[in-house]
Amino acid sequence: MIDMDKLVDTKASTQSKQVFWDQDVYDQEIKNIFGRSWLFLTHESMLEKNGDFITTKMAEDSVIVTRHSDGSLKAFINACTHRGNSVCTADSGNAKSFVCNYHGWVFGTDGELVDVPLREKCYHDELDRSSLGLKTVRVESYRGFVFGCFDETAPSLEDFLGDWGWYLDTWMVGAGEGAELVGPPMKSILKCNWKVPTENFVGDGYHVGWTHASALNVLGGELGGLAGNQADMPFDELGIQVTTRHGHGFGVIDNAAVAIHAKRDEYDKYMQETIPKVAENLGEPRAKLFNGHWNCSTFPNCSFLYGTNIFKVWHPRGPHEIEVWSWVIVHKDMSDEGKKEVVKQAVRSFGTAGTLESDDGDNMVQSTHGNRGTHAREGTMNSSMGQGYEGEHPDYPGIVGSSFIGETSYRGFYRFYQEMMSADSWDDIRANDEHWADCFPNKDYWKDRLAARSAQAEEK
Amino acid sequence: MHNTEAKARVSAQLHYELSQHYYQEATLLQDAEFATWIDTFVAKDLHYWMPVTERRYAKDKRPAPTPYDMAIYNDDYDEMKDRVARLLTGAVWMEDPRSTVRYLITNIEAFHTDNDDEFVVHSNFAVYRHRGQLEHSEHIGCRQDLIRKVGNGFQLARRKVSLDARVTEDKNLYIFF
Repeated sequence: MIDMDKLVDTKASTQSKQVFWDQDVYDQEIKNIFGRSWLFLTHESMLEKNGDFITTKMAEDSVIVTRHSDGSLKAFINACTHRGNSVCTADSGNAKSFVCNYHGWVFGTDGELVDVPLREKCYHDELDRSSLGLKTVRVESYRGFVFGCFDETAPSLEDFLGDWGWYLDTWMVGAGEGAELVGPPMKSILKCNWKVPTENFVGDGYHVGWTHASALNVLGGELGGLAGNQADMPFDELGIQVTTRHGHGFGVIDNAAVAIHAKRDEYDKYMQETIPKVAENLGEPRAKLFNGHWNCSTFPNCSFLYGTNIFKVWHPRGPHEIEVWSWVIVHKDMSDEGKKEVVKQAVRSFGTAGTLESDDGDNMVQSTHGNRGTHAREGTMNSSMGQGYEGEHPDYPGIVGSSFIGETSYRGFYRFYQEMMSADSWDDIRANDEHWADCFPNKDYWKDRLAARSAQAEEK
Repeated sequence: MHNTEAKARVSAQLHYELSQHYYQEATLLQDAEFATWIDTFVAKDLHYWMPVTERRYAKDKRPAPTPYDMAIYNDDYDEMKDRVARLLTGAVWMEDPRSTVRYLITNIEAFHTDNDDEFVVHSNFAVYRHRGQLEHSEHIGCRQDLIRKVGNGFQLARRKVSLDARVTEDKNLYIFF
């Protein structure tokens, strides 16, 4: 029995080192977290025509996602109901059906079993095909981003995203046209626990200056000053961090959306033209976010950098290994030339050979394997930066931290992680809807801070 | 961009010279002489490309990737030079202590083109990276290059790197193939 209060201590802001190593913790994560959460599958732009399909993973399960002949999206487990073979071995394509290589069972693009060789002669026409369809998965889209869920009792995708959807709309709706993903995804193996990159993306503005010193040195520009944490920058006034009800969260550096892109003429032009339209469409608070650079994770394992525009999923493969899949986000209403520029620059910084990505992988691996030793694992990890300097904000939903360099959204991620790991069902989770933010007790933080800021401004 | 037509195979003498150039290039990269490599072995009009190739069914008639599609490398000369500059900042923590990278370059086939001083050269590679105590990775694939005769040597103008693996089994591909 795992002691959940020891695994995550929300008051002390610590996590047991067991979270990155232990097999029993991992097994429970697969059951309680990946078995109940909405998991990112693909973007609708990759399933435009009826019969289009992609194969992906939901935790360690192989999944096929299709655009069925009636135009609806379907998702099912890629395992034949006869002897368990995969029925699709391609990354993507267009198909009328999926035929198992082993005995030739044929499944439709809705997963139904439509044909079985020797059905009449050898099954004597007695096989109940209607009960032998591929195991289906709930599938729903948010602004064209397609997610799947194994749990029939889970809330809708929109409710699962909750306030995080309000933030996502900043660019998933933007000026109106929204965004899509460009693939095919790059794929690589990283020997780390799935939570290490997830927590890094959800709220680690702290590592940027040190881990990425080499790339920022060469890049220069707005973020060059962060390299080595040497510059005299207003580190507590660069942006904010946010966490929401279901652990989704992000950090944002103000006015830095395009800062990682070395070549960005088209992107700069697009941003200048589009920010006023976003302000008109969604209001000033989100127009400000639209021009910021975000590091984010959608609970549990889907991360992205808005601005740099890389979009990633961390598929777990046991407690000490993940498969990393990376796409690029592009605004639909951007010029073709602009989209090409964004794809190239996003990959150059955060693709498999990215100038910044290449700094991160080693940290992910070391953070995991540092816990191999029995005595190392007796300790805890700390995520207390900025604790108490966070609360409800008049303009932004969720709990908002004072600076983009802080660990508010780490704390929010592990708070919900502990809740999901402990809960017997979604009913248990729903019962906590009113009290989830109790571990962020400084309710007047933003009221006081904003008042102090206006007083300061008046003095000047 | 990468579709220069390969004509007749080159002579034994030219094949020898090109092979020696490829071995020298591998030695420079193995010895981390990245500045020498980019300054003397690479042409200013470089395009260095590593496309992402999906696993698709034989009947799938969608075109092969172009340099406008998703690619792991899609760099011009200045961008490659920036990659070299990053390695020389002294702030790539992962490379101190240094990893060792070993290049086995084989199956070199070289062809004339319509330009007297340019050659299409195909080669296979096995690249091994070892780091720390037990960490190691290997990358197998092929390269299709456009190589230009410059003075007494050759310079790389186009390189398409094709990896055999769909999923990269390494923490990054910040290795010059």
